[in-house]
Amino acid sequence: MNAELFSQVLGNLFTLQTILALFAGVVGGIIVGSLPGLSATMAVALLVPVTFGLEPVAGLTMLAAIYTAALYGGSISSILIHTPGTPASAATALDGYQMTKKGLGAKAIGVSTVSSMIGGFISALFLLFLAPPLAKISLWFSSPEYFLIAIFGLTIIGSLAGKSMAKGLASGVIGLLIGTVGIDILTGYPRFTFGSTTLQGGVAMVPAMIGLFSLSQVMMQREPKTKQKKLKKASISGRVLPTMKEFKRIFKTIIRSSGIGTFVGMLPGAGGDIGSWVGYNEAKRFSKNKDKFGTGIIEGVAAPESANNAVTGGALIPLLTLGIPGSSTTAVLLGGLLIQGLQPGHQLFTTHAGVTYSVIFGFLLANILMGIIGLLGAKFFVKASSISDKILGPIIVALCIVGAYAINNNFFDVWVMVFFGFIGYLMRKIGFHPAPVILGMILGPIAEKGFRQSLVLAKGDLLSYYFTRPICLILIILILLSVLTPMVTKLMKKRKEQKMNLGDEENLA
Amino acid sequence: MKTKSIFQALIMVVFSLVLLVGCNGNEESSAKNGNDQESSGDYPNKPINIIVAYAAGGGTDTGARILQPFLEEELGVSVNIINKAGGGGWVGWGELANAEPDGYTLGFINTPNLMTGYLNPNIERKENLSSFVPLANQVSDFGAIAINPDDDRFSNIKELIEYAKTHELTATSTGVGSDDHYASLKLNAKYGTKFVPVHNSGAADSKAQVLGGHTDVLFANVGETFTAHQNGEIKILATMSEERSEFLPDIPTLAEAGYPDVYSWSARGLAAPSGISEEKVEILREALKKAITNPDHIKKMKDMGLAVNFQAGQAYMDLLKSDEEDVKELIDLVEW
Repeated sequence: MNAELFSQVLGNLFTLQTILALFAGVVGGIIVGSLPGLSATMAVALLVPVTFGLEPVAGLTMLAAIYTAALYGGSISSILIHTPGTPASAATALDGYQMTKKGLGAKAIGVSTVSSMIGGFISALFLLFLAPPLAKISLWFSSPEYFLIAIFGLTIIGSLAGKSMAKGLASGVIGLLIGTVGIDILTGYPRFTFGSTTLQGGVAMVPAMIGLFSLSQVMMQREPKTKQKKLKKASISGRVLPTMKEFKRIFKTIIRSSGIGTFVGMLPGAGGDIGSWVGYNEAKRFSKNKDKFGTGIIEGVAAPESANNAVTGGALIPLLTLGIPGSSTTAVLLGGLLIQGLQPGHQLFTTHAGVTYSVIFGFLLANILMGIIGLLGAKFFVKASSISDKILGPIIVALCIVGAYAINNNFFDVWVMVFFGFIGYLMRKIGFHPAPVILGMILGPIAEKGFRQSLVLAKGDLLSYYFTRPICLILIILILLSVLTPMVTKLMKKRKEQKMNLGDEENLA
Repeated sequence: MKTKSIFQALIMVVFSLVLLVGCNGNEESSAKNGNDQESSGDYPNKPINIIVAYAAGGGTDTGARILQPFLEEELGVSVNIINKAGGGGWVGWGELANAEPDGYTLGFINTPNLMTGYLNPNIERKENLSSFVPLANQVSDFGAIAINPDDDRFSNIKELIEYAKTHELTATSTGVGSDDHYASLKLNAKYGTKFVPVHNSGAADSKAQVLGGHTDVLFANVGETFTAHQNGEIKILATMSEERSEFLPDIPTLAEAGYPDVYSWSARGLAAPSGISEEKVEILREALKKAITNPDHIKKMKDMGLAVNFQAGQAYMDLLKSDEEDVKELIDLVEW
């Protein structure tokens, strides 16, 4: 980028309209994101017509700001009231809510804010400097790769399972089964719909998630045992910013997750919901204290949060260069681009470079602004966790119902939410975790579609089709490593112990 | 003690649900009252809801939101776009068919997906074309056949079709019974080609498949492909329209290339539930005609790559009927 273009970009950005749009986008995005059922996709879709009247730079910057801010906002409710505002922040609830319970709510919000900001910022840098080559790489991925990515994602269940692997796997299978409901797109056959028109589109993801995480949480809180646990005052007055030592601890995690998020976002078939889980899992895999995950540690918040915000910049890469949206929100953004007369493709980076780079810089600024607003607001957000359960409970239930309804304007989804609320409650009572259910629901359809499409694409020779694709081979190795490593280490440990035991016995003899 | 607390939580949930259902019910009954009392003389005198059977941000939704301000201007009342996605469109269409025919609930219907939905032998639906009163067509997006420009096996439509007669080629589709699927089926039936459909969830996925060289041939609509064609990322070989597309004046139609009788398009327009009074239909058609044919509307749609094709009354009904006939003919070819 030359100096002339740079000054043009600055001129475009620092106008009153653009700054106002940026600010409105960030604040609006955080609010929309934190409310369950109001998704980034919906917010962007409703605002695309508003951008008709704005300058292209202002309008598009606002949309991009909403996108990244909404993904961050989802973590606030996820951390404080165990109600993921977006599917992408479900993974954050695992450790985030545990931190709130320990009285570290403010710290959790702080970590999430810093991680989201860095994640978004790094992905924006990728977008700025490496968009065209990365877009080419994203095209190497097709049905067989998506199938393997989904399988790789499913290996995460092992690490989410907690104490009992069998229970974790059982929850995952329930999720996979639920994912089979709906009209099969490859044959048009309705599966497990029981004559319901709504179920033909599958079990709606957001209502099921709200039920599993939030409603079941409210029900658990009504139990005398947990009710006694009063939240410590520290949750309100606690430090927001992580200390230098803590920041050093999570820095590697944030960088790794940002890379993962950007990469997952770039793939047209995968978005923030997958990115955050993979980020969480890899943080756990590389961590020295794996057992602490799920008990409320800062790595468990930093990993999914930096990943899901990094998805935003990643998802913009194939959108701007190829016109192929990397996520459902960017599919809507495509409409926003076209309305402004901007056709995705290389002329976005040549003829319209002024506008495009202004929007990318605006997106960078949006991530920073989001961080500042988040850190300033953290103390206010955290007050939500100090409200008595008696008052908060009904409010969460009302939010659950409104959120479940709002996602498709369909009352059936409210019943889905209630149904999953009960399932979630029963699961928790008997020691099952609801997270693998969500993971199964997200990944099951991707795996199925990917595999069945590759059956057609392979033209009858499936094995050699898979084994002649380099990325497939890499993914297969990753899956094998992911599944076998814990087994091998366990076996080696056992053998070592046995040897020692044997040695003892010999000594005794 | 424990059970009591859970009981309380349950009551809370049920109570809020009842409250919500109650609100819903009231809305409906007031709508009914409104219908009984008012004559069509002052129609419309309150906001009109338009159901879009797809999620916000899709092609249908974008078209609806572009039309919205033009329609508000003509009708003098506000128009709300309500997305009711799910069930391949049938959550929204089912609701439209069963809505009060008072002229305050309208919806977009899409061909051939609507017809596939009620003709699909696996799903016994009670709705069909007569459940709706078609008002006006807004857009007709014709089918296009495209390839990866690096493909050296064929470079024009004739070579492609001839090659496909002797070789199996994978072809993208946006689901069983979509217009893209029917297009390759029609070619197979009529010219003995061997296109094998690979069903994706949307046109963007289809495009990525062909750009990456994973699927051989792209079957999609002009509106979804002409930008990529202009960028040189894909190469459109032919359109499946009767006349050349205004977006692609250099690309021949299939008929011009020597393969007549295979046409494919996806049309979307507005419909009301059956039972709506004739006067209201007239008012709506008049307003829709002015809004859809407004040059500003046409231009905005064109910027999105969508070709406005205003049809109303008998012409629109004929268009829908011919789509229905097409689907009926093809339904046996689909491997359900």
